[in-house]
Amino acid sequence: MTISKSILHHTSIPFAILDHEQSFIDFSKQWLSMFDLKSNIKGQKFFDSMPELPEELKLDINYCLEGIKHRSDSKRMVQKNGNAVWYDWKVSLLNNNTTNSLNVLVILEDVTHKRREEDLLAKSQQVARIGGWEVDLIKNTIYWSNMTKEIHEVPKDYVPDLVTGISFYKEGYSRDTITQLVNEGIELGKKWDTELQIVTAKGKVIWVRAIGEPEMVNDKCVRIVGTFQDIDKLKKAQLQLLNIEESLKGTLENSSIGMALVARDGRFIDVNTSLCNSLGYSKEKLLSLTFQDITHPDDLEIDLLLLNELIKGKRSTYQIEKRYFNKDQQLVYVILTVTAARNVDGEISHFISQIVDISSRIKAEKKLKGLLELTTNQNNSLMNFAHIVSHNLRSHAANLTMISEFATDESLDEDIRKDSLGMLGKASQGLNDTISHLNEVVQVKLETDQKLKSVQLQPLVQKVLADIQALIEENKVLIEIDVPQKMEVRGVMAYLESIILNLVTNAIKYKDLNKETAKVSIKTVEKDETIVLTVADNGLGIDLDKFGKKLFGMYKTFHGNEDARGIGLFITKNQIESMGGKITVDSQPLVGTTFEVVLLKNHQS
Amino acid sequence: MNFLDIAFIVDDDPIHQFGMKVLLKKVKFSNEVLVFHNGQEAIDALMGLLDRGEKLPSVIFLDLNMPIKDGWGFLDDFVKIPHQNREKVTIYVVSSSINPSDQEKAKNYEVVSNYIVKPIAESQLTKVLDDMGLLDSL
Repeated sequence: MTISKSILHHTSIPFAILDHEQSFIDFSKQWLSMFDLKSNIKGQKFFDSMPELPEELKLDINYCLEGIKHRSDSKRMVQKNGNAVWYDWKVSLLNNNTTNSLNVLVILEDVTHKRREEDLLAKSQQVARIGGWEVDLIKNTIYWSNMTKEIHEVPKDYVPDLVTGISFYKEGYSRDTITQLVNEGIELGKKWDTELQIVTAKGKVIWVRAIGEPEMVNDKCVRIVGTFQDIDKLKKAQLQLLNIEESLKGTLENSSIGMALVARDGRFIDVNTSLCNSLGYSKEKLLSLTFQDITHPDDLEIDLLLLNELIKGKRSTYQIEKRYFNKDQQLVYVILTVTAARNVDGEISHFISQIVDISSRIKAEKKLKGLLELTTNQNNSLMNFAHIVSHNLRSHAANLTMISEFATDESLDEDIRKDSLGMLGKASQGLNDTISHLNEVVQVKLETDQKLKSVQLQPLVQKVLADIQALIEENKVLIEIDVPQKMEVRGVMAYLESIILNLVTNAIKYKDLNKETAKVSIKTVEKDETIVLTVADNGLGIDLDKFGKKLFGMYKTFHGNEDARGIGLFITKNQIESMGGKITVDSQPLVGTTFEVVLLKNHQS
Repeated sequence: MNFLDIAFIVDDDPIHQFGMKVLLKKVKFSNEVLVFHNGQEAIDALMGLLDRGEKLPSVIFLDLNMPIKDGWGFLDDFVKIPHQNREKVTIYVVSSSINPSDQEKAKNYEVVSNYIVKPIAESQLTKVLDDMGLLDSL
């Protein structure tokens, strides 16, 4: 008895024994520690030592002292300091045979902590809308928690069975899936955790998460317990997000604008077909590159500068016109718009680039510019031509009118009238010359469309020099030639011969007599799609500030040279332009003149 | 007796030079007619006359299109001569150009009295004399 008593004292059960006066006779250690009491409470009144206890406990103790065997209850009370405390108690009547007095055993537990967890669980289930269910396969009963019923929108007194439980699942995928899962659970003990749709009693279709865990005894399923969660809002939001993501992806993929997701270091994370098409790379190849790899070096600096400002948060987006190199190292002109994409922490996760390919626009612009230049040139040359017709023909006509009047003017002396006849002859000869010069020009213009042929420059230069051998020797001119073999241009042989002849004879004609040796150099170099023919001399030079504009005009002479007809350079220019070329001049008086003729390179077809 | 003392013809066209000389002689325009082939020759001659303190021409017939120095170049040099030395010189542009921009440009030179389009006729030379008030004095 002593031993058993001492064992009892050391159990983890908080108990106390009170006499009929409700004074402590005995108590366990657990009692003292649970209520923070000392052993000197022995003999003291229970409710004096522990005043803050529920009234119901007091009543139960009284009931037992009056002869009722057991009372138990559970109550929450708020203490003076405001703390809420839960108590569980059991009170039993002890019959002491020896003294014949009435004692009671009180087991009292502070279950506040436990209760709180249960409360929280219930509350969280309420908030998370998680219900429980259980199927007992031996008794063939099914239990649904209140929340499960609420989710199904059935009344609290609803009694489900396994078949009706499954029939709530939406016909088709959801019902087929749950049927299969339940069957596999029963037969194989397989757990499930799935997201399906049910149709509630009120006909609402909602998404639920159903979890089931079968309990197996001897390979036989005896019971399945599980939870049932209303995830409709979450699922719908998820599906919507997925939908948005997919439509975004579709937009990105099918956009006619090039789009790319670019990592912070410049790697391409994702690119669409449009961008691949613009750059000529496959998607795989492009994803192995950085934007730095394919950006024109002249455009890289500004791009990186702006990107840096984006990273530093100085701007949220930027747009520039830049150039990429495509797979064939050809330039691709684009308008690039870059926006930063940020993760949940607000840090830049990657960049979104929109790339509008404007190569064709730029190409068209260049072509247009070329056409404009051509038109301007043609217009100028037409103006020049109109001017020639109006001015040069008029001057001859004026002379003829004036002189022919003399011939019939009898008041003039006979010898003047005779001279007039001579002048008349000269004037008509002048008119004739002008007309034949104009005819030459018209011929060049008319033959613009004549088929251009491949012409080798080197033999042509040799031929021209051989033709004017006498002139070169007579003037003691030093000729330097740097014309590589197999330089072929697209042109008209006769024009090219006349152009070279004209430029070389001009260089000789306007040599500077004060220089020891007159020099003329003839050079050709390839430049892109053209061949540039240069004829340079150390002659008199031309004051370009004064005469530059008129240099290639008709009947313009500048040196007062007797032989100058002012027709050569005009025809030369027309011939060059009719072959798609260009002529420019650089000159300094008394230093020399350099003519540069740009001709089209011949492409072997 | 001629109306004026000296007249200049500045023109590179020999036929025009011939025609002008004939017409000037016919209307008894001046005692002396000097011919220059371009603007530079004419300016050089004027400078020579100024240097020697000799009399400048009363009228200059100036062509526009000439080599070395054209009519415009001549005018630009001419206006640099101090005003008191050239105030009695009258300049007529005689050109075959009917380009309105040439006529406009000529108007911008105060020293140019008129713009005559070739061919010049006898009556136009008489009018030049008339404008100078010389015919009335007869």
